[in-house]
Amino acid sequence: MPRYLVERTFTDRLEIPSTAQGLKAMHGVVGNNATEQVTWVQSFVTSDHGKTFCIYDGPSPEAIRRAAGLNSLPVDTISEISVLDPYFYVGDAS
Amino acid sequence: MLLERDGLLRILDQRLSDARSGDGSLVLVAGEAGAGKTSLVDAFTRHLEEGVLVITGACDPLTTPRPLGPLHDFASDPGSGLGDMDTAGADPFDMFETVLERLRHTIRPIVMVVEDVHWADDGTLDFLRFVGRRVHESKALVICTYRDDEVGPDHPLRPVLGQLIPLDSTHRLTVPPLTLAAVRTLAADHDADPEALLRITEGNAFFVTEILASGNLVPVTVQEAVLSRVARLDPKPRLVVEAVSVAPRPLDVLSATSLTGGELVDADAALSAGVLVGDGRSLRFRHELARTAVEDSLPPARRLDLHLRMLRLLEDEEHPDPARMAHHAVRAGDAKRIVEYAPIAATEASRRGAHREAVSFLKAAIPELERLERINQAAKLLIDLANELAKVDLTDQAMTYVDDALAMLPGSEDLSLIAMGLITKSRLDWRRNAPDKGWAALEEARRLLEGTGEDVALSEIHYQAAYAAMLARHGVRARQEWEAAKATMPDLAPADLKWRLEMLDGTIDIVLADSRSGSEKLNRSIQKARVSHDQSAVADGLSMLGSGGGEARLYDEALPALDESIAHGLDHDEDYSVAYSRAWQARIAHERGEWDRAVELAELVSATAGLQGGIAVLTARSALGRVRTRRGDPGALELLDAMVELGRRHELQHVWNAVCGKAEYHWLHGSAVAALGDLAPTYERALDTDSEWARGEVGFWMWRVGAIDRSPSRAAEPFALQMSGDWRSAADVWSELGCPYESGMALADGDTDAMLEAIAIFDTLGAGPMSRRTRAALKAAGVESVPRGPRSSTQANPGGLTDRQLDVLRLIGRGKTNAEIAEELYLSRKTVEHHVSAVFTKLAVTNRTEAATRAVAEFGAGADQR
Repeated sequence: MPRYLVERTFTDRLEIPSTAQGLKAMHGVVGNNATEQVTWVQSFVTSDHGKTFCIYDGPSPEAIRRAAGLNSLPVDTISEISVLDPYFYVGDAS
Repeated sequence: MLLERDGLLRILDQRLSDARSGDGSLVLVAGEAGAGKTSLVDAFTRHLEEGVLVITGACDPLTTPRPLGPLHDFASDPGSGLGDMDTAGADPFDMFETVLERLRHTIRPIVMVVEDVHWADDGTLDFLRFVGRRVHESKALVICTYRDDEVGPDHPLRPVLGQLIPLDSTHRLTVPPLTLAAVRTLAADHDADPEALLRITEGNAFFVTEILASGNLVPVTVQEAVLSRVARLDPKPRLVVEAVSVAPRPLDVLSATSLTGGELVDADAALSAGVLVGDGRSLRFRHELARTAVEDSLPPARRLDLHLRMLRLLEDEEHPDPARMAHHAVRAGDAKRIVEYAPIAATEASRRGAHREAVSFLKAAIPELERLERINQAAKLLIDLANELAKVDLTDQAMTYVDDALAMLPGSEDLSLIAMGLITKSRLDWRRNAPDKGWAALEEARRLLEGTGEDVALSEIHYQAAYAAMLARHGVRARQEWEAAKATMPDLAPADLKWRLEMLDGTIDIVLADSRSGSEKLNRSIQKARVSHDQSAVADGLSMLGSGGGEARLYDEALPALDESIAHGLDHDEDYSVAYSRAWQARIAHERGEWDRAVELAELVSATAGLQGGIAVLTARSALGRVRTRRGDPGALELLDAMVELGRRHELQHVWNAVCGKAEYHWLHGSAVAALGDLAPTYERALDTDSEWARGEVGFWMWRVGAIDRSPSRAAEPFALQMSGDWRSAADVWSELGCPYESGMALADGDTDAMLEAIAIFDTLGAGPMSRRTRAALKAAGVESVPRGPRSSTQANPGGLTDRQLDVLRLIGRGKTNAEIAEELYLSRKTVEHHVSAVFTKLAVTNRTEAATRAVAEFGAGADQR
């Protein structure tokens, strides 16, 4: 399944409390994603909480957008990405 | 009562629980006939917890098995989620893929049962091999039952088993004979010696129950047990049982009794003896073993006699059903009645849209006609057969039959029949993207008939030529041929030709001349066809209005026609026409800025039509490629490239959308040179047509990338306006047509105020690339404060609802249930539930009534709004 980087801008700062409510929200997101066969791998959040860079696996960019819609999350851009690991090259150097 | 099967049920439960966690498997359930395989599977599926989807299909004991019978069963099960599967497609692997996708992309586990695979046709065997090799990556448990004692070394199932059994994901279960303990339990209330019973039956479950029911311990085979049970009936009820045994389907009580000169009470006797089961109106056997036992036991003359009686009984009816007549004629070997009824049955089946049934009736009649040396008639049916096959997209097969027909006809004096064969051939050539061959066949037919006064055939030839010219968007030629067809058509021409000619009149106008007048003509024709109950003419008209109106961007005409065309196609088994209409819906949704919907429809078409869906897939996926381009999503260029490639052999009308999408992609990415690759030759093709929309849109992108500096002649109005520099009028025309993105594109060419307007449109649509591009242009023009508009379609809608959620809310406002919403929006019920709960959360409501109130009050979701 292709991997995507999804950039999102939050006009209100993104706040997810570390409480039962936050946990419930997270579970909701994961459940919604599943209906589109989308897996949320990881996200990076800017220090002002205004923008996120999220890694997803999913069948298509459309599925990513639908999952975002179900979760009421904004989408700026979607890029298809692959892993480039600096240590991958270590073995070849010798 | 199911005895001694707990161990097997536990194994099936374990496999299902593995499947639930994504570790699917195929289980082969083997056992002799009557061992209780079906009872085992029934018991397993009956006790499943809720949420497990069960899909069942079966192979039938016919002399010629139904091709892909089990897959047809899946598709006809409304709960299977495979209802949209293109069961008529040319390549069965598309169906296999569809089923596999279904098994893979599911939240809840699926149990797929294929019964009696020892009777499977070759296509079903391919399917078992296909799915067996891939099932491990799914949440499915596929269960196949088969009679292992009937699968000898030369049985076609054998090699398939050989390939599947070594796989880790294949498991074998054998339904063992009952033990003495079980037989003892079963025999408890009967006066029977369990040990003797076990010895005779060898523990065969059906056999045991039959013997217990027959009360006779003498028989040595299950057939004998069945027959001895039948033999204990009085003669009259026994005659009823015999009559039911020759009926392929449950037989109604009245026919069964009157067929045998008996009374209703005789049927009751057969029922209460347990030989037959019934639902109050019809009768059937308890097990296929029993039916065949009885049918096989009938002396040949008696069997023939029953079929002949059945024929007479049916003939006495006021309107005998030709299909049943044909069936019994075939069984009775009554050649005269076969050639009398099968062709009628075929015509009838075809008229009702049951093309595959039509094919089988024609196939029954043709050899009889050949035997009777009625060659012309046989050839005519071969041509009909080809036309039927073409309707279910079996174009290659159809071509073989036309060639057969034409090979029979040299020297025939029936020139018009030969011409009809050639016309069919030419139509098939077009379907196979060989227009040159198509024109050649048509010319040959024309030469043949010149001066013969065969006006119907000549008119048909002109019609075909007009149609072909319309497809190639050659307006002048299309109109000339149409006039010639009209002029040669005699008053007594078949209704079908009259309708087609009438529908083509509007179609030529809609795509090549005055589209409004074309749509008026088409609407009038459709209305007339409706009044005369000509379903197929209605369907043709709707499809033409939908696609032609779509091409001319007359959405208010096209959309209702497409909706109706889909409903009609679903009702009539016309899978391709459904896919084609949905593809046009996708294209129109894209043009109207309803991108979520466009995507959904395009995915639906791809999933249901497969690659063989040809033009439907091309149309739908081109729209998807354009949506990706306009959203700036990945995969756009790859998809459009593939579509341009796929479209190379097709008429311009089917490929220009993908070519323009590709040009747009390259233009957005600043590469005019790359854009020109496919665009320039397509532009030449467009200039060779009379289609204003092709000339307009292809010309527009040529202009946009700087390859031409002014509009080509006869370009569609809004494109011509924009190319002439009148962006304001262009934007107005676009928004009147209902094309927001195009309107934004025109405004983006304008002054700074217009550019701000354009940005608002692009942001609402989620058109990232054009939004960024226009913002950059504004900055470059010195405008400092470009508002930070909404950044995504999610935030652009009232209440923060997505397009899809808005759709759902509107339907809630119209009082629809989740199931109805799912059907209307082509979504799964699960997805609808998610949308509904998201809508409730966002609107802060707790129930449907509140949501519906808000829908009407705030979102303008009036009762009759679509």
